[in-house]
Amino acid sequence: MTDVSRWPFSTVLVANRGEIAVRVLRTVQKLGLKGAVVFHAADRNAPAVRMADHAIEITGSTPVAAYLDGAQILAAAKSCGAGAIHPGYGFLSENTGFARAVESAGLVFIGPKPEQIELMGDKVRARNFVEKGGFPVAPSAIEDDGPATFVERSRTVGTPLLIKPSAGGGGKGMRIVRDLSVLEAEIERARSEGQRYFGDGRLYCERYIENPRHIEVQVLGDSHGNVVHVFERECSVQRRFQKIVEETPSPALTPELRAQICETAAGIARSAGYRGAGTVEFIFGPSGEFYFLEMNTRLQVEHPVTEEITGKDLVLEQLRIAAGEPLGYAQGDVSAQGHAIEFRIYAEDPGRGYTPTTGPILALRPPQGDGIRWDSGVVQGGEVTAAFDPMIAKLIVRGTNRNDAIARAEKALAETVLLGCKTNTAFLRRLVVHPAFVAGDVHTGFLDANPQIAADPPMPNGTLQALLAAASLSTRPMRDAADCVPDLHAAIGEWRN
Amino acid sequence: MQHAFKLGEAEHNVALSRAREAYCLHVGDSLVPIDLKTSPDGRTWLTVGTRHVEVVIATRGDEVFVHLDGEAHALRYRHPLERLAAQAGGGANDLIRAPMPGSIVSVNVKAGDTVSKGQTLLVMESMKMETTLVAPRDGAVAEVQYEKGQTFERDAILLKLEAAAGEGA
Repeated sequence: MTDVSRWPFSTVLVANRGEIAVRVLRTVQKLGLKGAVVFHAADRNAPAVRMADHAIEITGSTPVAAYLDGAQILAAAKSCGAGAIHPGYGFLSENTGFARAVESAGLVFIGPKPEQIELMGDKVRARNFVEKGGFPVAPSAIEDDGPATFVERSRTVGTPLLIKPSAGGGGKGMRIVRDLSVLEAEIERARSEGQRYFGDGRLYCERYIENPRHIEVQVLGDSHGNVVHVFERECSVQRRFQKIVEETPSPALTPELRAQICETAAGIARSAGYRGAGTVEFIFGPSGEFYFLEMNTRLQVEHPVTEEITGKDLVLEQLRIAAGEPLGYAQGDVSAQGHAIEFRIYAEDPGRGYTPTTGPILALRPPQGDGIRWDSGVVQGGEVTAAFDPMIAKLIVRGTNRNDAIARAEKALAETVLLGCKTNTAFLRRLVVHPAFVAGDVHTGFLDANPQIAADPPMPNGTLQALLAAASLSTRPMRDAADCVPDLHAAIGEWRN
Repeated sequence: MQHAFKLGEAEHNVALSRAREAYCLHVGDSLVPIDLKTSPDGRTWLTVGTRHVEVVIATRGDEVFVHLDGEAHALRYRHPLERLAAQAGGGANDLIRAPMPGSIVSVNVKAGDTVSKGQTLLVMESMKMETTLVAPRDGAVAEVQYEKGQTFERDAILLKLEAAAGEGA
């Protein structure tokens, strides 16, 4: 058991909500530390609020704005005597200004140094930094290097190429060019989208890898200069450039490639003097080539799959590092066993273009059993609203190997009961048994290329009949009407039919 | 008596009657013995003909949610009166509901305006995509429930139509 008595903090404030707030509080409280959380009124009855030792309400013009209000969150931390702030993911987790403000207030920011967030947050600077270190980056042209020659330099990158806003993220404003005759027009379109989404029209171009895989590597660095990797995660199954399913180990890597990509990630983190938990993302081509994509300077949504196969509690590692402890182990001490897959449970309708859904959670029965983990921030009686991101839970399954994990996942997804708000679980079930997924043969465009997986399949007659039976017997006016007619009349009705 | 449920876009007519200890479901030409029982451990079992299967059911207002064979389904009970009104050319057609959660970009009509089928009523935004909602039939705007910038949940009633002046009901 970790000894926290000499740590510079005894209360940790979680500046987040939903499943990740619960996840962080779990480790904080297990260590014997006090856990605090901020919450907007919309989350008053959320599990994290009930679980926390202190819960401080924050306000905002919208619920999201409250969680982005660094000044209020700092004041909340002081009011409950918190000595450290864990930002979770999203919201303020990669905000340099917030990390600085936390440190200037004399509190511990559970994350990297502000200058590391700043470096990795700017895609162009991050890419240059990585390239200078001798690590692989895709052929590219950066507008800032010489705006006058940008179009000319973009031509030399070669097709297909991808235009991206420098300040971008989440796939917004990205454009693929296969024919150089439309290059200039597409650059202008990307610029106007970048301006609209990020208030910044600067661009860069890079070689586009057809049917690429998304493979990322978890790294940990302490404040004493030690850096290790904690293996890779593959997150190739995406919709609208957002991950849906993540797994480890990646079915695409040979042991040699795994060592190579993981060592590259650790090398990048080491060259940045990286402190904390971070993720180096790579784009992985069909012939085994890989390039640095970006580095996320926070805990990832998909961190549990790494925990499941390595036995490491990544939040515990983050807390230990923030407390100034050395990692205490070397690369050779990090090992992995089995296979883990995470499924993001979204309140959305895959059959209608993955549009978000809302509604009350009238019934919730998470799957249970060996190798099943359910990380969630919602409870029965709660409500899914449009105020926040539509991810409501994560199902993580662990198996002795990939096939074992897939079989377990199919069963667990079928056993997941959530009524009142449409979710993507039926779609995830179709996905997990799809021959291409079972073969590990996926890429980031897989779902776009296979829209039939998202479409609602035709309903068998037996299912329709059973649903109408269940609904009829659960509808009071129908049951009442049937109950007040004696059996004899019903029998006459039978003859008539 | 005929009842109906909406499942997705389709509407299904059903009737329910008593049969001995349980019930009979009438769908189309078929007649199936059915029953729903809760066992002492709290689990719910549905019987349809010879099939016996565990289900989880939740209801809210006219909505019935059923978890069956590993999947959740939503059905909406249609009141006989509501269906009559819809058949008469009014009813549900008069309520312009939000197809997804979002916010109002612009409202192009006001209460009292006469509109024709296909005319833009309002523009909404969801997930950074704009969607135009048009009049499903000729009529007049009875009520506008939202204004520019306001947000709403899926199925919220954004606007109500009525018969245009001088038009028979």
